[in-house]
Amino acid sequence: MSGGSDGVLTGLATWTENLSEQAYAYLLLVPAFLVLLLFAFWPLASAIRMSFFADVLTGGQLGEFSGITNYVQLLTNTNALAPAAFVDPSFQTPILEQALFMTILFAVLSVTGETLLGFLYAMLMKAEYKGRRLVRLLIILPWAIPIVIQGMIFFLLFRPGYGLLTEPLQQLGIFSNLPLNTTFDSFVIVTVADIWKTSAFMALLILAGLESVNQDLYEVADVMGASRWQRFRYITFPLVFPVLMVAMLFRTMGALRVYGIIESTTVGCSTVPSMTCLVTQFMFGSATLYGSAAAVSVLIAIVVGLFIMVYLGFIRRSNQSLGLA
Amino acid sequence: MSIDARNHDDAETFDGSGDGTGDEENKSRIARWADDWIQNPEKAYAVMLVFLGGVLLTTSLFPLYWLFNVSMAPPGQTDIPLLPTTIDLSVFIQVFQQVPFARFMFNSLFYAFTVTVFVLLVGSLAGYAFGRLEFRGKTPLLFSLLVLSFFPPATLFIPLFRAFNQQVPMLGLFTLPVEIYGTPGAVVTPLSAFTMPLAIFILTTFYGQIPDGLEDAARVEGTTRLGALFRVIMPLSAPGVATAGILTFITVYTEFFFSFLMTGNSAAEWAPVVDGVIAFQTQYTVRYDLQAAASLIAIVPVAILVVVAQDKIISGLTQGALKE
Repeated sequence: MSGGSDGVLTGLATWTENLSEQAYAYLLLVPAFLVLLLFAFWPLASAIRMSFFADVLTGGQLGEFSGITNYVQLLTNTNALAPAAFVDPSFQTPILEQALFMTILFAVLSVTGETLLGFLYAMLMKAEYKGRRLVRLLIILPWAIPIVIQGMIFFLLFRPGYGLLTEPLQQLGIFSNLPLNTTFDSFVIVTVADIWKTSAFMALLILAGLESVNQDLYEVADVMGASRWQRFRYITFPLVFPVLMVAMLFRTMGALRVYGIIESTTVGCSTVPSMTCLVTQFMFGSATLYGSAAAVSVLIAIVVGLFIMVYLGFIRRSNQSLGLA
Repeated sequence: MSIDARNHDDAETFDGSGDGTGDEENKSRIARWADDWIQNPEKAYAVMLVFLGGVLLTTSLFPLYWLFNVSMAPPGQTDIPLLPTTIDLSVFIQVFQQVPFARFMFNSLFYAFTVTVFVLLVGSLAGYAFGRLEFRGKTPLLFSLLVLSFFPPATLFIPLFRAFNQQVPMLGLFTLPVEIYGTPGAVVTPLSAFTMPLAIFILTTFYGQIPDGLEDAARVEGTTRLGALFRVIMPLSAPGVATAGILTFITVYTEFFFSFLMTGNSAAEWAPVVDGVIAFQTQYTVRYDLQAAASLIAIVPVAILVVVAQDKIISGLTQGALKE
């Protein structure tokens, strides 16, 4: 061990050699969990704690411990400092209800669209033909595009007097004069933008599922004279279903946290208020309300958790019906 | 977009047209297609696939084409036609002259690269422990990683924002010695923590699949425990490591929340591509053509990555990522 980094390294190596398997495992986990502790677990715990403290308007500080007051105020819409109602001009609908409704509707619509489109993309990526590499590449590409550029694209597509799609949609009476300032229109734009980008990711996961289906099953089906539909109905779909559920779970979690695309299409949080929007509005709005912002972010986690439980239920049931569990 | 079945298709149509008279041929062309497709469902399926593929690819690519189209339009033009009137590639040079766009790009790539290397290194140690070693508390620890992904980035953001601005002590124990808000550290650290769980899950699956015998052989030949991880397990799990790395890189490069809110807005302050694109908006004018061109340029690095690594992404996901 004397002198030189070489000696130290050898010493370290000898030391790790002599550790028990258990101690060695913990040693290997230290770096990862140290990072997670500092930059994930601690902020999480801290946010949950903050949600029980009163808001202080200035100085970036927390007020007194106030128990569940922040939650009560959010759920009963009695927080006088909350951002003014976004969507509902008459201020009748509570702000949290608006955000919750908007976010869940967005998640349901976008994940449904992505799953359908993703399945079609995946089948296209799975089939064998010349030029498949190129097709696969073109399908994956939108997934790799930064959110801000995705927003830019859809802003340019729908900007009045500029975008290609605005005028026809206005003539059909679907869109208003200022689509990027109207909640319904903006909601459609944001949802379409999300479907465009993330169907590709969905397709990748579903493709992984399709590729892992045992090809022998299809040969058996052919021998038994199954039609293409029967092959899909009785082999492909049931076997891909668990993967499909996991993929939908991932995407639902992402969709419930939607924020970037709303900002980057210039639609903005006041037109399409998502739950995450509400967090940023509480933090960077007219007043800095750390306690309430933290309470909203905990509520998002609860909503995400509820959705995850529903999915896990589906996954378990499908595993049971396949005799896997 | 050619389908193997198509050649076969053409050949048969040609054979068929020799039989009947011209009149009959015209009258029953559609009927004959229908007959043909009913007799050869594979052929109908191939035609449907081509049609569907065309529609899907158009949907997928049109937005990107539109970006190019806007970048070709003269500044200030509204009602942009479907086809560009002129092709003038000089906008792609102007992008770099008007704002330090290269620096914005560098910043984003730097974040993505640093986080990827760090997460792969640290995540590999953890993935090895989870995938190949037995220890108490394994399941709860893995579960804690899953729970992390329930929470939106916004939850982690508030305390970190305050800690990075030296408003509150980290862990409630120590105040950061310097304000790291607006430095690369403020983006790299939370994004490492944010991307770590998925990387660990993927690496755990892959490392767990390597047969013990291979590792034992290396150990008998005198490789150290850590050496076995980096010389045997990691190289043998190359597709998994590549998948985890690519997913991390793309997640960070495309990320919006932390990279936008944790940095200032000038290139010298480590602002990412987001701010680079916004920088073309000044108080009085917005150069949409330059914004569109800048956006196209910013896609290039990830596009190259997808071109080079598409097989790795697909095979990596197929082989393991979803089995957990």
